[in-house]
Amino acid sequence: MKNKLLQKTRYWYILPLLLLLLSTGARAQNTSIKGKVTDEQGSGLPGVTVLVKGTTNGTATDATGAYSLNVPGGTGTLVVSFVGYQTKEVAINNQSSINITLAPDAKALEEVVVVGYGSQLKKEVTGAVQTVSAKEIKDIPVSQVTQKLQGRVAGVQINQATGKPGQGMSVRIRGQLSVSGGSDPLYVVDGFPITGGIGALNPDEIEDISILKDAASTALYGSRAANGVVLITTKRGKIGQTNVSVSAYGGIQQVPEKGRIDMLDAVEFATFKKEYYEAEGKPVPDVFQNPSQYEGKNNDWYDALLRTAPIQSYNLTVTSNKDRVNTALVLGVFDQQGVVLNNKYQRFSGRLNTDYTVSDKVKVGLNIAPSYIFDNTPRTDGDRGTGILFNALHTWPIMPIYDENGELTKFNTFPANTGNIYNYPNWVRAAEELVNENKITNLLSNAYLEYRPIKDLVLKSTINIELYNNKFFFFNPSTATSSINVAIPTTAVSIRENFSNTTWLNENLATYSKSFNEHNFELLGGFTNQRFRMDRTRIQADTYADDRLPTIQGGLNINRGGTTSGVEEWALTSLLSRLTYNYKGKYLFTASIRSDGSSRFGSENRWGTFPSASIGWVVSDEGFMQNFSKLNFAKLRASYGVTGNNNIGNYTQYALVNNTINAAFGNTVVPGAAVTSLANSNLGWETTKQFDVGMDLGLFDDRIQFMYDYYNKTTTNLLYSVQVPQEAGFGNFNDNIGEINFWGHEFAVTTRNTEGKLKWTTNANISFNRNKVVALAEGINRVYGTYHITKVGEPFGQFYGLVKEGLYMNQADLDNSPKVPGRSTVGSIKLRDVNGDGIITNGGDNDDRTIIGNPFPDFTYGITNNLSYGKFDFSIVGSGAHGNELLVRHLYSTANLDGVFNMVDGVKYRFRSPENPGKGKFGTTVGGGNVTGIERDWMSTHFLEDASYFTIKNITLGYSVGAVNKFFKSARIYGSVQQAYVFTKYTGGPNPETSGNTAGNGDGGNLSQGIDLSNYPVPRTFTLGVNVNF
Amino acid sequence: MKKSYIITLLLSCGLLGSCGDDFLSIVPETQLSSATFFTKEADFQQAVNAAYVPLRTIFNDRSWLLSEMHSDNTYYARNPAFGATEQQEDLADFALPEANGVTSNTHVLNQYRQDYLIIARTNQILSTIDKIEFSADSKNNIRGQALFLRAFAYFELARYFGKVPLHLEPVTNRSEAALPLSSEEDVYAQIIKDASEAITLLPVKSKQQAGRATSGAARTLLANVYIVQKKWAEAEKLLKEIVASNEYSLIPDYANVFSTSTGNKNNQESVFEVQFLEGSAGLNGNFLYQFMPRNILANELVTITGTTNPQPLSGEGNNIPTPDIIAAYEPNDARKDVSVGYITLSSSARQNKVYPYIKKYAKPHALHDNHGMNWPVYRYSEVLLFLAEALNEQGKAGEAATFLNQVRKRAGLGDASGDLREAIYKERRVELAFENKRWFDLVRTGRAIATITAYGNRIKANPQAYYYPEGTAPRSHAFSNIKVFYPLPADEAALSPHF
Repeated sequence: MKNKLLQKTRYWYILPLLLLLLSTGARAQNTSIKGKVTDEQGSGLPGVTVLVKGTTNGTATDATGAYSLNVPGGTGTLVVSFVGYQTKEVAINNQSSINITLAPDAKALEEVVVVGYGSQLKKEVTGAVQTVSAKEIKDIPVSQVTQKLQGRVAGVQINQATGKPGQGMSVRIRGQLSVSGGSDPLYVVDGFPITGGIGALNPDEIEDISILKDAASTALYGSRAANGVVLITTKRGKIGQTNVSVSAYGGIQQVPEKGRIDMLDAVEFATFKKEYYEAEGKPVPDVFQNPSQYEGKNNDWYDALLRTAPIQSYNLTVTSNKDRVNTALVLGVFDQQGVVLNNKYQRFSGRLNTDYTVSDKVKVGLNIAPSYIFDNTPRTDGDRGTGILFNALHTWPIMPIYDENGELTKFNTFPANTGNIYNYPNWVRAAEELVNENKITNLLSNAYLEYRPIKDLVLKSTINIELYNNKFFFFNPSTATSSINVAIPTTAVSIRENFSNTTWLNENLATYSKSFNEHNFELLGGFTNQRFRMDRTRIQADTYADDRLPTIQGGLNINRGGTTSGVEEWALTSLLSRLTYNYKGKYLFTASIRSDGSSRFGSENRWGTFPSASIGWVVSDEGFMQNFSKLNFAKLRASYGVTGNNNIGNYTQYALVNNTINAAFGNTVVPGAAVTSLANSNLGWETTKQFDVGMDLGLFDDRIQFMYDYYNKTTTNLLYSVQVPQEAGFGNFNDNIGEINFWGHEFAVTTRNTEGKLKWTTNANISFNRNKVVALAEGINRVYGTYHITKVGEPFGQFYGLVKEGLYMNQADLDNSPKVPGRSTVGSIKLRDVNGDGIITNGGDNDDRTIIGNPFPDFTYGITNNLSYGKFDFSIVGSGAHGNELLVRHLYSTANLDGVFNMVDGVKYRFRSPENPGKGKFGTTVGGGNVTGIERDWMSTHFLEDASYFTIKNITLGYSVGAVNKFFKSARIYGSVQQAYVFTKYTGGPNPETSGNTAGNGDGGNLSQGIDLSNYPVPRTFTLGVNVNF
Repeated sequence: MKKSYIITLLLSCGLLGSCGDDFLSIVPETQLSSATFFTKEADFQQAVNAAYVPLRTIFNDRSWLLSEMHSDNTYYARNPAFGATEQQEDLADFALPEANGVTSNTHVLNQYRQDYLIIARTNQILSTIDKIEFSADSKNNIRGQALFLRAFAYFELARYFGKVPLHLEPVTNRSEAALPLSSEEDVYAQIIKDASEAITLLPVKSKQQAGRATSGAARTLLANVYIVQKKWAEAEKLLKEIVASNEYSLIPDYANVFSTSTGNKNNQESVFEVQFLEGSAGLNGNFLYQFMPRNILANELVTITGTTNPQPLSGEGNNIPTPDIIAAYEPNDARKDVSVGYITLSSSARQNKVYPYIKKYAKPHALHDNHGMNWPVYRYSEVLLFLAEALNEQGKAGEAATFLNQVRKRAGLGDASGDLREAIYKERRVELAFENKRWFDLVRTGRAIATITAYGNRIKANPQAYYYPEGTAPRSHAFSNIKVFYPLPADEAALSPHF
C-alpha cells in the first residue's frame, strides 16, 4: 500500500510538469490522436469524454463527434464515456487515429444518486429517494425550482397557492403536516441546510435534485427531517471538458378567461338591486330605476387590475474541469413582470463553484453564490378588505374606474339608501400607487477541505455561510389604499423594515470505505454545529405632507406601535453516523443515527436522537431470476426510522413577559408588564416514526421502470398551542401533544415507448396519501377552526359546518322542517337538523354542524411525455389532484344577497317565490341580514365545491441544430406554453390549487387548508427560447 | 494521523465554542422572560399597571353592551342595510342563543375573558410579591391595588354569571387551567375578603396617584357588594366612612362631572374611573363612536366629535337612549340635556331622521375614532345614593332623604316626594344613566324580569319608537330569553371539563 501511495504522489508531481511542457510548445514529443466517436448507427456523438486512463488528460468530442488529444509517449489507454452509453476502453499503442463506437447503456440504474452526506449507486439505494435532473426541467419558464417540479415526483404534492411571481409554492412530502409547526421540507444546497428558502436560487444553477422521502433517507438530518429533505446539487464541470452555454427565453403571460369568476355586469347588477327593492316593497333608489342606462358602461374591476406581461430569462454557464481545477460559473438574469399591474420580480444571480485538487490527498473547494432579488408586489391576496383582487371582485360594476376626464377615480360611494355601506377606493390606484417592495441580497457559500490520509479514509471539514438581507419598503400614499371603506385622501403610511439573517454551519465528517471478498462497507461519522441569527428593525411613519417624499422624516408622526425591533436566534449541535454495507451489491443494509441538541428545546429535553435502518435485496441478481429474462432488474426495499420536526419557534419554551402593556393614569403613561405565555421546559421536537417498503423494477431491458412505495408513519409530540380555558389568564399552553397516523402508496413508472428515430418516453406517477388523528391533548378530542375541525378519529383539518338541504321551497316546507328560530323564511337556506333537536343551531359542541368536506385530495398524479424525432423534440407535462374540496370563501361577499357588494352571476337564479324558485343555490333576498345572513355567514356545504383538477403545466416544442461552425457546438430553439390548460369543474375561481389561510380561533395554516380567497391567478405563459453551446 | 484528526476536531470545537450547553442556551433578547421578571419593586409596579389594562377593553367595548344596552335604558338603532349585527342585537333583545347553559355570544365571552385576565395578572402579583423585599408602603399599595382589581373582576363575574371558577393562584401549567365552578356565595366571600384587605392597604385618594385604586374606591366597591347582598348596616358603615373622609364632593354643575378628552379626569367627584388617553399610544377609547346612530356622514359626526379628520360611520349604532330613559327625567332636570343629545342623520332609512345619542361623554377631541375621556365607574353621587338606600332600607328614611336630596339639588330639583325607595331607584336611573348601573340595579332589586318583559312588549308594539325604520320590526325571537344571569360562554365551556 505504501508503494502505491508513493507512486501516486510521484505522479501528481509529474503531471503539472508535463502540462507545463505541453503548453510551451513541446508538441513534438507527444503523439496526437484524432478520431471520431459514433453511436451504433454511425452518428457522431458530441460531448463525449475522452480521457487517458489514470490521468486528467482528456477532452470532449465536438458537435460532429470528433476529438483530438495529445498523449505523451503515445502509450496508455483511452477511456471513452458518455451518459447513457457503456464506457469503452481502447489501448493507444501509438495509433494516431482512433475511431470509437459506443454501445448504449440501458442500465440507467447505474446512475449515482446524491443522498444525505454522500452519494450511492442508484441500484444500491435502500431508501425512498427520487431524483430529478436539471435537464428534465430546463424548459419550464418559471422563477422557482419548486414550480418546475410540479407533477414530477410521486408522493410530493406541490401546489401553487398564488400566482405571485417568486412566491406561494407549497411543498408537502408524503402529506406530512404538523399542526402548528412548519411543514416545508428541509432544503439542502450542496450539503448546506439553508434557512432562507430556495426562492433566491436560480434554477439554472442546479445540476440535480434528490427528494428524500422515507426515514432511512432523511434520518441523518435528525430533528429537521420529518417533513422530508430536498437535496440540491449545483453544477460542476464534466471531466476533461470546457463548456460554454447560453440560454435565453422570453415570453408573455396572460390570465386566461377560462376559470375567472363570472360576476354580474353593470346592467345585471342594477337589475338585481332594482328587483331587490321591489321584492322588499321599498322604493327603488334612482340609480337602479333604469338598469339599461348602464348598457356599455360596465366596469370590470378585476379585469382592470390585470395585464399581459412579459417574462424573460438569460443564463450564461461556463464549466471547465481540466488540470486540477473544476470550475462552474453560472450567471443569470430573470425578469418577470406580473400579470397584476405594477408587479415585478427580478433576480440577478451568480454562482462560482470551484474545486481544486491540491494533491492526491488534499482537495479544497469553494462555492460562492450571490444573488439580488427585487420585487414589488401589490397587496393582491387576502380576505375581504385586505386583498385588492378580492376587493375588486366584489366592487359594484356601476362604480366608474375612470372619471369623465379619463382619470382614475379616487374612490366611489353611493348614498346609503342604495345599500352601499362602504367606500370603495380605486383598486387600480391601489395597485399602481402603493409601493410594496422587497430588495433581497443573498449570499450562499460553502468552503471545504478534504483530506485523504489513507486510501480508504476521507476527512472533510466544511464551513458554510448564508447571508440574507431583505430591505422591505411599503408606502401607502394619501391617494390610494388597498383596504375597503377607507375614504380618500387617506393617511399616508410608510414602513421600512430590514431583515438581516446570518447562518453558519461547520461540518466535520470522516468516511471510511472498505471492500473485501465482495463485502463492501462504508462508515460515516461526524459532528456539526449550526447557528442562525436574524435581526429585524421596523420603522413606521404616517401623515405625510407630500406623497412624493415617503421618507421617515417626511411623516408628521412616527407610529409607536409599528416601530419595533427583534432578534431571532437558534443553534444546533449534532453528532451523526452511518454504516452502509452490501454483499455483492445484492444484499444491502444501511443504518444511521443522529443526535441533535437544539436551543429551541426546553432545558429538560435538550437532545433528541434519531436512528434509522434499511435493507434492500436486488432479487434480479439472484441465480433463480435468470429464468425471468423480461425482468432485468428487481429490488425490494424496507426501512424504518425516527425523524423530528424542530419548527417549533425559537423561544416557545420560555414564559415571556410582555412589557408594553402600558396603562395611563390621568394623562401620564406608565409602563405595564405581564406574563403572556407559560413556560414549558420539557418542550421538544415533533417525532415521526416511519416505516416504508418499496420495490424497483426494470422490465424489457429497462424499457419499463417501475417504482412502488408504501409508507406508514406516526407523528407524535406535535407542537401545539393547546387552547386552555382563558379563566387561566392565558389562551394557550405550548406543548407536545397528540398523534397523527399517515399512510400512503406511491407509484411511478417510466417507459421508453418507442426508440430509434422516434423516441418517446413517458413518466407517470400517482400518490395516495391518507391520515387520521389518533389523539390530541388529554381531555381534548377536537380543535375547531372557523371553517374546519380537527377531531380524533378523523383526518385532520376537515371542513366543518352545516349541511345544506336546499331552500325552503314553500310555506308547507318551512312549516314541516327544522328551522333557525326567528330567522328562517320561505326561500331561505334549508339546513339539516343533524342533532335532531328540531331547530337549526350553529355554534357550540352540540349544534348541527358536522364534517362536510375534505381539503386534501384522494390522490395526486403527474404525467410527462417526451418525444423526439430527428431534430425535433416535444414534451408535455401535466399534474393533477382528485377528490378535494375548496371553500369558496369569497361567496360570503360575492353572494351577499343584501346587495351590499357585486355578486356572482349565479344570484340571477336565486329564489324569488315558490313559483319562481330559481336553481336552488341562492335563497331569497327578502328579510335582510336576519334571513340572508344564515346562508352567508354560517359555514355550510353551500360554500364547498369539488376542486379536482388536471393541469397541463407545460408544453414544449424544440428544434436542435448541430454544429454550425467551430464555435457553435450545438443550438436549440424552442417554444413553450406554461400553465397551458386547467381541466376542472371547479367554478369558485381560476386556481383550483389555491389555499389561503385565515386567522381565527383554533386556526393554524395546516389546520385550515383549502380556502379560496381569490388569490393572484396563475398566468398562462407563452415563451420562445434558445440554448446555444459553444 | 488519527491523532491529528482528533486534535483538529477538538480545535474546531474549542475555537467555535460550540460543543457545550452554552452554545445551545439562547434566551430571547428582545423580550423579558418570567425567569428574570418579578425580582424587584419596579417589576411589581409594572405588573400592577398591566392589571388595570383590561379595564379599558371592558369599559370601551363590553360593559355597556352587557349592562346598559341589556336594560331599558338603551337600545340599538336598527340599520337594515347592515348585517352581522346579531351579537349586539341579541343582548339588547334578550334573545341570546343558549344551549346547555352556555351561549356563543362573543361579547359575553370577551367580558368573561377580560375579567380573568385581570384575575391572572393580580394573582401573579399577589403570589410572588412577598418573596421580594422592598418598602412596606410601596408593597402595601401594590398589593392593595391588586386586591381591589381582583375583587372588582370577581364582582363583575358574580353579577353577570353567578357561579364561576375561582382562581386565586397563578396558573403554571395546563392541568391547572380549568377549575370547577365555585358557588356564588364562595365568590362573594372572596370578594369581601379581598376588598376588605384592600381598604386597609390602600391610601386615600389625596395620597394616591390620580386614577389608581384608593381606599375610598375599595370601600365603595365593598359597599356595593353589601348592597347587592342587602347587608345594609355594613354598607352604611363603609359609605359613612367615605363621606367622613372629606376626600370627595359633588361638582356643582352636572355638566362638569364627566372628564373631557384631555382634562377634568379623576376630579373631586370621581371615586374610580377607567383611564383612557387620546393619541397613538393605543391607550385611547372610541366608545363614543360605538354609541353613534348610523349611517352618519362625516359632516354630521364632526358636530359631535369636533375632530380634524372626520370619517363617515356605517353599520348599526348601539347604546342609543330609549324613549323610556328620556321620559324618566323629571321636568327641569338639569341632567337630561347633559346626558342626552340629538342628531339628524340625512341618510337614515327612517322617516324621522332625528336620533338621540348619549351626550354625557361626547367631548370634542383631536382625531377620528380616538379619544381620551375616562369612564366613570364610581362617582361620589352614587356613594350618596347608596347611602340613602342603605339607610332607607334600615328604616332611617329621614337621614336617607338628606343624602338623596343632595344629589337632586345639584340636578336643579327639589326634595324627593312619594315612596322613598322608588324615589331612590328613579334617582339612580337618571343620575347614573348610561354608566352601566341600570341592569345590575334591576337584578339586585328583583325587578328585572317584570321590567324587561314590559319593555319588550313596548318595543314590539311600537318598533318605530325604538328606531326601527318603517317596514321593519323586531326579530321574532326578541325578548324570548329574559334571565337574571348570563349563560357561561360556550368557547370556555368547550375547553373546560367543569361546565
